[in-house]
This record gives sequence, structure tokens and C-alpha cells, in this order.
Amino acid sequence: MITASPTHAAGVAAARVPILELRKLDKRFTGTHALKAVDLAFLPGEVHAIVGENGAGKSTLIKLLTGVHVRSSGEILWQGAPAHITSPHDAIALGINAVHQEVVLCPHLTVAGNLFLGDEEVKYGMLQHRRMVRDAQKILDDIGFNLPAGGMLGALTIGQQQLVATARAATRGTKFLIFDEPTAYLTRQEAAQLFALIRRLKARGVTIVYISHRLEEVFDLADRVSILRDGELVSTSRIEDTDEEKLIRGMINRSIEQIFHKDVVPFGKPIIETRHLSGRGFADVSVSVREGEIVGLYGLIGAGRSEFVLSLFGREPATAGEILWQDRKVTIRSERDALNLGIALAPESRRDQGLCLNLPVGFNINLPILPRLSRGPLLSGRAETEHADRQIGDLRIKTASRNAPASSLSGGNQQKIVIGKWLNHGAKLFIFDEPTVGVDVGTKAEIYRLMGTLLRQGAGIILISSYLPEVYELSDTLHVFRGGRLAASYGHKAASHEEVLTRAIGV
Amino acid sequence: MSTTQSGQLPPAGKRLHIPFGLTLVALLVVLCVLLTIFTDSFMTERNIPNLARQGAMIAILALGETFVIITAGIDLSVGAVVGFTSVIVAMLLTNGVPIWASILITLAIGVGIGSFHAFGIVKMGLPPFIITLATLTSLRGIGLLMTNGATISITNDSFTEFSRNDLLNSLFGIDISPFDIPNLFAMVIVVAIPAWLYLSHSRWGRYLFAIGSNAEAARLSGVNVVRTTYTAYILSSVCAAFVGLLLASRIGIGNATQAEGWELQAIASSVIGGTSLFGAVGSWHGPLLGAFILATINNGANLLNVNSFWQRIITGGLIIVIVYFDQLRRRKR
Repeated sequence: MITASPTHAAGVAAARVPILELRKLDKRFTGTHALKAVDLAFLPGEVHAIVGENGAGKSTLIKLLTGVHVRSSGEILWQGAPAHITSPHDAIALGINAVHQEVVLCPHLTVAGNLFLGDEEVKYGMLQHRRMVRDAQKILDDIGFNLPAGGMLGALTIGQQQLVATARAATRGTKFLIFDEPTAYLTRQEAAQLFALIRRLKARGVTIVYISHRLEEVFDLADRVSILRDGELVSTSRIEDTDEEKLIRGMINRSIEQIFHKDVVPFGKPIIETRHLSGRGFADVSVSVREGEIVGLYGLIGAGRSEFVLSLFGREPATAGEILWQDRKVTIRSERDALNLGIALAPESRRDQGLCLNLPVGFNINLPILPRLSRGPLLSGRAETEHADRQIGDLRIKTASRNAPASSLSGGNQQKIVIGKWLNHGAKLFIFDEPTVGVDVGTKAEIYRLMGTLLRQGAGIILISSYLPEVYELSDTLHVFRGGRLAASYGHKAASHEEVLTRAIGV
Repeated sequence: MSTTQSGQLPPAGKRLHIPFGLTLVALLVVLCVLLTIFTDSFMTERNIPNLARQGAMIAILALGETFVIITAGIDLSVGAVVGFTSVIVAMLLTNGVPIWASILITLAIGVGIGSFHAFGIVKMGLPPFIITLATLTSLRGIGLLMTNGATISITNDSFTEFSRNDLLNSLFGIDISPFDIPNLFAMVIVVAIPAWLYLSHSRWGRYLFAIGSNAEAARLSGVNVVRTTYTAYILSSVCAAFVGLLLASRIGIGNATQAEGWELQAIASSVIGGTSLFGAVGSWHGPLLGAFILATINNGANLLNVNSFWQRIITGGLIIVIVYFDQLRRRKR
């Protein structure tokens, strides 16, 4: 029975009725099979870790459980009875809460205001500010978070905000709490506070689902661990019965290697070279990219690779070291400088940075090369339609027409535009930041093919990816970032997956 | 196997697609027919040229405003710019500056005001609403200071003559009076043709849409967001300065309090013409049609002896109705 028994030994847990059970849970998006008939049971009072590469289906699983997405087929059983979770509200009503990677709170309210948001203490129709701050402080002290309840949320660090979000999720009658990479932005002390809270919640009988790339945390906290790969459940095992090597082997998919078709292009002259480059979030990074070369950057979130690349693109200029562009020393102070040199960036977030979503497909494809589609001051309508149609054909973009808004396309097809629009631009260095996130296997292969085309045109590519097989198979040179520095560099497939992952995690 | 996921691609060519512009033309025609039937004074050789003149100034203002709104910005200052530049041109002319120089200087001041707006937005990081609200009040203040609150009469006859005359008459001396195109209306065409080329047939026009849709994506695609923003606000202010010239010519005075509330009429015309205040949606012809629809309604209401207070209420209601239908149309797509 699930009457709050504080004992949580693994042997006892195995005998208990699952608080939440997934039966053949399946989720398809247009063009993507994100979760494939997953069977999984969560026991009351256990910490259940879920590990897997990016795109393995972890976030889809969270979104199904928290009502952000609705399952395509299969069943979710809550305390033995079928549950219909069709909105976040349904999930919260059951007692399922999640702490997301990104903080979704109101920065202009106080910590207390955020804790009680939607559930404010009111007397005679008036907000009881002082009482809420007092009560919030009690809650925070009680769960061991060292935070000021009366302070503005926006004045806290990202890590502290994350703790506030955690406190909020943990204190609303929650029986099932999901953490998605909770320590990505936390300092060591903050992480310690979080782990202490997780242990206390577990002792109270709350089920914890813990998702993290950091395996040492998994071994520190979890009772059981499940591995997801390409939307499928690989295994679930008790933590005593597994080790890091087994987990890593389970996470890496061998069969997928076939799709990493790599064009072998002879290297040409150097395009860019950094010498001991330092800036915010990274230090002493020396890398170079030649014509026809893919340079992969791998590392965990916060390891400094994005910060490094954004400094190459002029977003946050480097503070020390030098950049050589085609053997000439240059300074890149703005994005305009970068674009003028011939650096193009395909950003990680399609929706926010990559596309004009409510404008037509053809508009987006043509945007970077409009000057070349113009004759004098005026655009040539025929050149525009011809180029757009040709690109739609070449890139195999599935769209009703070039006039359909980009938002009507699937994620994979949108990503093909984000990358494909540069094909005829003539930039020399391409920075691809997570080019295949949320993209199905077939589209991935097409995106890799596009990269090959760019290489043959004499361009160089910097590839950032959290998906190890991708950077591993495609990179001619692979740099591993950890803690803002280069932790290791390898030639094409010169080290094993295990070694690369080990260097990135730093175990 | 799952069957619940529906395809996201819209069915191609299934729905009959009527351009919004054509709907507006139809609305304008219906209005004219109704007014011809229900009044004796609408379809007359006095009223039609008068209506064309009335609508022309708001139409040009609305067109300039549309460039800014497409970038997801707003320019609240255009009415004030009209009043201010009418003072400038009146002062220049009274001081004996030749007409051509007065016109150029006035337009140059429009460039200056637009640049200032863009500077505030791009460099100072002010929201467009705020910076143009600030110039809305301060430009009128500056104009009043310069004239000490007085009205400057323009004594230059060839300048004031322009707005009363018709196109063929002033160009070739041919007098076919009621059938000629009023000069003020001709000015709409003079502005509309380059606006059409710019917005629909040049890359710089595309950049306005790109910025209005997603400035970040535009910047990453190599669009010079700063320069494009400057262009949009300069075009808006220059159109307003141009209207200031036309107004000064029409009423023969320079006064900083003129054109009160025209910014709202310009925005309303643009929105009625299908421009989205969220940016990235708009055309060159929409605001022109919107302006003439509004002008026709006001004109008709006058002829029907509808209380002028009611006219304001009707205009407000019309904005809600037209934009609501446009929203419905968009949602269906």
C-alpha cells in the first residue's frame, strides 16, 4: 500500500505498487517517432534516474507526464488507475510537478510572490504580503534553502532561481517530482542544498525522477536508473547492479552510426585560428578550422563551448588571446564584423533565432542572399521564385509551397531551411549549434549531407552538439570542453566514445 | 500505432483566397454607391475632389507609418511632425527663402526627426512607443516656442495655389476642372509608386518584414538591423514632413497645433488596410485604401448631417470590426 511509509529500502520498494506506470507509452510528432512503446514503473519514495543522449526521448517523456504534450497511444496509470493527463493542470492536480532546466517564474515578483503565485494568501480581498513572506521564509528554511523570501527573484542568480522553482514544485502537495538537469546552473553549495532536499522528499515518500547527464549525481542519488535511447527503453536496473561503463554503453546507439555519412574532403588552407582565446565563460582556447574540415565541440551544458563560439561570432567579444582569419590577425567585435568576414551562424534555437516563422518559406530561404537576387535596386521576382523553388527541391523541404509560412513546417524541415539558406551564400566558416536537436533520423542524414556540400564548396564547419555520436562520427577534429577549457582534442575517431564522454564529464 | 497526430501542413489551394486589398476596394465602392444613392451632394464635382484632397494627406501619413509598423514598431509623432514642419515651411517662406529650398529644408528636417527616433530606439534602447511619444509632445512645444504660439500666414501665392490646383492644369495649363486629378491626390501617387517598389520589389523592403517577424533571425541572416530601423523611421518622418508641406499649402498657414490626432488616424488607416501591429504584415496599398475609406465615411457622415461626435464613435467601431474580421481570416489560414 502507499500509506506513507518512510522506509525506502530497495527490497521493500520492489514490493510496492507503482505510483505511476507507463504501458506502451508512445508519442509521434510529424516526421518524428519520439517515444516508442515505453513500459516503465515508478515506485513510491524512490529516486529514479533516467539517462540517455539528447534526442533519446527524455524530454518527450517529461512533457507527456506533465501534460505539455498528449500521448499518441499507450497508457499512463496513476496509483493503479488510468490517468488522463491532457494539460499541465491535470498533472498538477494529480500531484505531478517538474523542475525544468529553464526557470519559468516571474523575475519581477519576490521569492515569496513566486512561491505563492496562483495560490496567494488573501484577507478581505487584500494580499497579505508580510504574511506570505514570513510563511515563504519558513518553507525555505524548512527545506534547507538559504534564500531571502522577501527579495526580488530577478536579483538572484540563475542557480538560486532554480532553487526557488524547486521549492515551489516541492511544496504543493507534490507526490511525484521530476528534475530535468537540475544542476546545470547550480554552484556546488546550491547543488548540495538540492540533494539534501531530494533526500528529504524521498524520505517523505515523494517519488523523484532525476534526469541528468552527470552520472556521478545519478550514482549518488538514485535507487534505480533507466536508460533511454532513440525513444526506446534500453534497460532499468537497480543502481547497485550497474556502473558508469554499463550506463554509457547503454546510452550510445551503435546502429545509428550508419546515418553519419561523412564526406571525405581534402583539407585546404586555414580559415580561422584562435590562440589562447579567453572570454566570459571560457579561457585559453586554441583551435583552428581549415577548408573542408569539420571541427566538433563537445561538452556538457555550461562547459563553455557555446560561449566560445558566440565570441567568434562577435556576440561577446573575447577579452584575451588572438583570432587569425585566413592567416591575418582580426578582431571580431560585433556580429556584423563576423558576417563581413564570412562567418555564418545557424543558431540552436530555431524558433527564437533561426527563422522568421510567420513569413513564407521562400522568404526565409532567400533572406541571406537578397543582394544577389537583385538587379540594381530592385529584386528580380523570377530569380527569387527560381532560387526558392530550387532550394526547396534540393533540400527536399516538405512544404505546401514556397508561400506557406515557415511555421507550418515540421521541426526537421524548418531546420533544413535554417541550414540550407546558407548554401548559396558563400560564407567561409559555418557555426552549427545543435543542428539536429529535435530532428528525426532521416532529416539528420540530410542535414549531414548538406554539411558535406558546404565542405566541398571550400567552407569549414564548427559543429556544436550535445549528441556525442554526432560530433564523434562527423568531426575531423574533436575538442572536448570542460569547465570553460579544452579538456581534450582528438583526430577523427581517435578515441572511444567512452573516453570522450569520460573527459567531458570529468570522472 | 498512433493515429491521433494530424498532419501540420495546410491543405494546399483548397480555400478560395480573396486578397484583403480587394475586400477593401469593394468596401470603398459600396460606401460610394450607398452615399451616391442616399445623398444628392456626394457624387458632385465639388465633393469628389474635396474628398480626394481630404483623404490624400492621411493616406501619405499612413503609408509612412506602415513602414514602421511592419518592423513591429510604432511612430506616434507623425501628427506633431506635420504641425511642426508646417511652421518650418511657413517661416522659411515668410523669410523669403525660395520654394524649392524651403521644401528641401523641411524634408531634411523630417530626415533629422526620423534619425533621432531610430537613434533613441537602436542606441538608447528606448521602446518606439516612448521615443515617439516624447517627440509628439516636444515637437509641438518647439513649434509653439518658435512662433510664440502665433499662427504664421503664408503669403507666397504659388505655394498655396498648388494644393487648390489640379494636376493637368498646373502641368500643362489644360483646364478640365472637375475631371482633373487634384494635385494633393496626385501626391499620393507620387509617394505610392516608390513605396510600392521599395516594399514589394526591393531587398530593403524585405528586410523590414524580416525585422518585424524576428529581428534576431534577420540579424543572423546578415540583415543590417540598425540601418533598416533608421530607414523605416526616417521614411515615416519624411512622409510626415511632406504632409506638413501639403497642409501648409492647403490652409495657407503654419501652426504647430495643426494635425492634432492625425497620428491616430494614420495608424487606424494602416491597420484597417491590413497592417498588423505585431509586425511583419502589411502592404503599400492597404494604408492608402484604409485612409480613403475613413475619409469617405467622415465625408459621408458630414453630408448626412451626422453629428461629428458620432463620427468619432463610428470610426472607432469600424476599426474594431475590420481588424476583427482580418484576425478571423488569418486564424483560418
